[in-house]
Amino acid sequence: MEGGRRGSDPARARTVGYTAGTDPEERPPAGTNPPRRRRKEFRRVIPNPVRMRRLSCAGLVSVCVLCAVAITACEDTGPGDARAGAPSDASDAGPAGPELMAQEAPPAVGRPVTGGGMGPRMDPDETPGRWPFYWTRAVYSGGRGWYGRGGAWATDYPKGDRQFLIVLKRLVRLDAYDWENAVHLADPDLRRFPIIYGVEVGNMRLTEEEVEGLRGYLEAGGFMIVDDFWGSREWAIFEWNMKRVFPDRPIVELDLSHELFSTFYDIEELKQVPNIRNARWGYRTHERDGFTPHVRGITDEEGRLMVVINWNTDLGDAWEWAEDPGYPLEYSTFAYELGANMIVYGLTR
Amino acid sequence: MDAVFEFLFKFRPLVFEQGEFAFAAPTSFRLWLGVLGIAGASAVATYTIARGRSTVADRGVMAGIRVALLTVLVFCLMQPVLVLSTVVPQQNFVGILVDDSRSMGLENRDGSVRSDFVAEAFTPEESELLESLSERFVLRFFRFSGGAGRIDGLGELGFDGTGTDIGGALDLAREELAGVPLSGLILVSDGADTENRPLTESLVPLQAAGVPVFTVGVGDEVIEPDIELGRVELPRTVLEGSTLMVDLVVTQNGFGQRSVPLVVEDESRILAEETVELGPDGEPVVARVAFQLEDAGSRRVDFSIPTQAGERVDRNNRRSAWVEVRGASDKILFFEGEPRYEVKFIRRAVWDDENLQVVLLQRTAESKFLRLSVSDSTELQFGFPTTREELYQYRGMILGSVEASFFTHDQLQMIADFASERGGGLLFLGGQSAFAEGGWAGTPVEEVMPVVLGEAASSPRGYFNEVKAEPTPAGLAHPTVQLDASLDSVGERWERLPPVTLVNRLVEIKPGATTLLRGVHVDGTSPDQILLAFQRYGRGKAIALTTQDSWLWQMHADVPLEDQSHEALWQQMLRWLVDGVPDPVTVSTDQERVEPGESVRLVANVSDSTFIEVNDASVTATVVSPTGQVDELPIQWTVERDGEYAVELRPAEYGDYEIEVAAEREGVPLGSARIYLHAAESDEEYYDSARRTFLLRRVAEETGGRFYTPETVGALPEDITVSGAGVTLVEEHDLWDMPAIFLLVLLLMGAEWGYRRIRGMV
Repeated sequence: MEGGRRGSDPARARTVGYTAGTDPEERPPAGTNPPRRRRKEFRRVIPNPVRMRRLSCAGLVSVCVLCAVAITACEDTGPGDARAGAPSDASDAGPAGPELMAQEAPPAVGRPVTGGGMGPRMDPDETPGRWPFYWTRAVYSGGRGWYGRGGAWATDYPKGDRQFLIVLKRLVRLDAYDWENAVHLADPDLRRFPIIYGVEVGNMRLTEEEVEGLRGYLEAGGFMIVDDFWGSREWAIFEWNMKRVFPDRPIVELDLSHELFSTFYDIEELKQVPNIRNARWGYRTHERDGFTPHVRGITDEEGRLMVVINWNTDLGDAWEWAEDPGYPLEYSTFAYELGANMIVYGLTR
Repeated sequence: MDAVFEFLFKFRPLVFEQGEFAFAAPTSFRLWLGVLGIAGASAVATYTIARGRSTVADRGVMAGIRVALLTVLVFCLMQPVLVLSTVVPQQNFVGILVDDSRSMGLENRDGSVRSDFVAEAFTPEESELLESLSERFVLRFFRFSGGAGRIDGLGELGFDGTGTDIGGALDLAREELAGVPLSGLILVSDGADTENRPLTESLVPLQAAGVPVFTVGVGDEVIEPDIELGRVELPRTVLEGSTLMVDLVVTQNGFGQRSVPLVVEDESRILAEETVELGPDGEPVVARVAFQLEDAGSRRVDFSIPTQAGERVDRNNRRSAWVEVRGASDKILFFEGEPRYEVKFIRRAVWDDENLQVVLLQRTAESKFLRLSVSDSTELQFGFPTTREELYQYRGMILGSVEASFFTHDQLQMIADFASERGGGLLFLGGQSAFAEGGWAGTPVEEVMPVVLGEAASSPRGYFNEVKAEPTPAGLAHPTVQLDASLDSVGERWERLPPVTLVNRLVEIKPGATTLLRGVHVDGTSPDQILLAFQRYGRGKAIALTTQDSWLWQMHADVPLEDQSHEALWQQMLRWLVDGVPDPVTVSTDQERVEPGESVRLVANVSDSTFIEVNDASVTATVVSPTGQVDELPIQWTVERDGEYAVELRPAEYGDYEIEVAAEREGVPLGSARIYLHAAESDEEYYDSARRTFLLRRVAEETGGRFYTPETVGALPEDITVSGAGVTLVEEHDLWDMPAIFLLVLLLMGAEWGYRRIRGMV
């Protein structure tokens, strides 16, 4: 029995693949950086019917280009998005290269003490275990947080965490710690929190320590929810990082028949949850080329989800701005339903 | 010593014990006392009046000696006699019971065989003993081993009996000879009784009838050199893949301080091997061995120590036991009051275990439940069971962090009855709503808990502590605490596991409960906590694991990914939880192994689905012999106990008998159960086969008889003669002419003369 659950069994799940149309043999080895030239491949292999229609209408090309430029310039400046004010390295510069990453100091190993100026954090003297449940945010390297503080991990932090806990405790009978809790992926204390939440993972650039920490965490029984990354480019970055964590585990598409969608609420439709600015504006729900929301996962040998990947959707913003009259109830309801399901799933499987 | 006594006093001590002392002189005792007084006074006066070189002290000593001499003289003149009741020759019967079991074939140290004594002592026309007995008594012979019977001569003995039942033999002889004048019974045996029934039941009637038993012990009291394995106790059924931990007593003589291997094997492979360090010569040691049983079916497990060089008896180096390995999947209801990580990691720990089905019912919100691993869509569809029939389908139940007020009073009583009446296993987990903090004090379930509930913490997070788990001595001997470590590294394995947290203050167990793990506080200031404890409760058992996060033993960064401690703990604990949990129909036999021809009692207990005993069921046993012959036996209610049905079986063939018992009432099946009976040659006679002098001596002394060895048995005929049992005559034997009296007179006379010589008075 020993070690029986630790090996891999790729045949168990339907494979979505690490970037359709590319040969896995061509993927960069673990520990290396993805080449910039791949951006074209991503655009090529993920069909974009809207873009295709625009391109086919020659009379509207110039108007569309101008509009697209205008929209792109302002789409990431919403008050609820941690990328606001941050250099647009993630959205414009393509996959992060070694030059850029070298300039970003990874967070110190251990629990971050400050919360980006957003109020109290978990008491450093608080002993894990006093509360049965801590809503824990995964701290990782890569990207920039709000006003340049923290990394991409700090998006929506900590208001989103507090808001989520308040509503979650109303919906689920959960004896949870009321405040946010952020733990670095390389921190051994991560293992004391079997559910973690990673946000803006399209900007992650995991260090080797973080890769090791996350792999050990997930193989020991940890459960990771990722959210709020959009489009093919960010997918490629996230996929590349997860490939370093699990070279042999495929990412599988989860359809609505998966028990994740019925473990607490019965979810019958997958909605694309927009960020606060797009939701208020009502113009669109997608960002970049992330037109279709996906819920994907990485499973263990027994088919249990280790990672739930919410791609092309922003559950975090819906949780954070649910009380905002301008944020549509439809999306916040869906986000909380899916959030509750993911939490209950992570607590039972 | 007896011979010296007999020379001095004319008779052996036993004769004095059997007889009565008296004076035969016609005159009264007072007259002789007066004569002695006068003679004594005269002697004293003579010495007092006389003068010479003697001092007062000299005269006193000599007067004393003279008075003593006169006393002896008067004693003889009073004609002391020993009054004895002696049997009338050829008017009385004596029963001779000879052990016919296999142990009588064992060799003595001098190379002879135990049964040789029987041949020498009871061969007609050659044996003085037999001749002497025949002259005095009418003899009747009996043989005995597992059973007993009358025989006409010793030629019928084969010394191949598979057991020794001394009590049964005494009962039979007493009953057979009840109508004749009986002077006594002679029991020839090594005393290696293999029956478990108390001997007193057989001795009391003999005492009442005044029949003495004279026992003759044969064989060596110590068999040396020899190693012997003690009896092995295994559960009759276990779940497939369960780990069993067995303690064996290894007894040895002549192999002190050696190391010997102990091998555990089933029919096809070696299950475990341990090295046993033997203690000082003659001192038994306890060897512990753990092994796992795979593959469903009936398994014979052999425990053996290889024969050592020069060992005198090698058939006592092996023990066998049968276990039925169940391949079924036992259902356990896990009720959890809130979503928490224990659920996830317990389910994961037993995920691969095909013999455990942990059905989860978790309250995820008010009146909202999550059901996992249910058998069908209707199972637990209305939440926690509200009827006994629904609850009793499970063999075990885990109660997580849920407050007592969630349940109705009937449900609380039902949970308690689940252990006491149904015989199920109840496991209580720690948590914010468990134990006292969950309001369980004062409920019917509190009785079931193996821990004493103290006062609840005053606030939801009023009590919190981190503890390291430390096995107790009882825990080290328990498979659940064993994890999957080797026997000598269990403590070290627990030492490596990280601390866990407690939110329930539990420091005391109930009387009769056992602590397997204690929680030693990390800060070292607080008293130790109870971490894992259990107790038997009614027909079932209750276990308390008081931590709220045993999942840390799987998830913590200090635990390597390949470490299987958490999985092993939970798999073993849940197997233990459902181990021995009865079904509505159970069947058992009073022996698991019999010799063909011996009878065995088959007992079935029948209940309905709510575990209420049924007395009007139709119960049938289908017996399949080793050669495939099928017999159907109806089993009748015993009337003595509710729900108990019994029948006698007598296997005729060697091999395994499969017995399936099915019960129904008014055409509705109540259930069925299966058991295996093993008809095989028994080795029982070779265990503990040294001569048991203590037992034989006890039989003799409690009935008024005497114990003999082959060397002292010559006195047996005369001893029976004066036993006083049977048709007797009263005889008086003079004692005044005992050599001892003559020697005493000489001694006293010599003493006076010698004293005078020393003092210069002659």
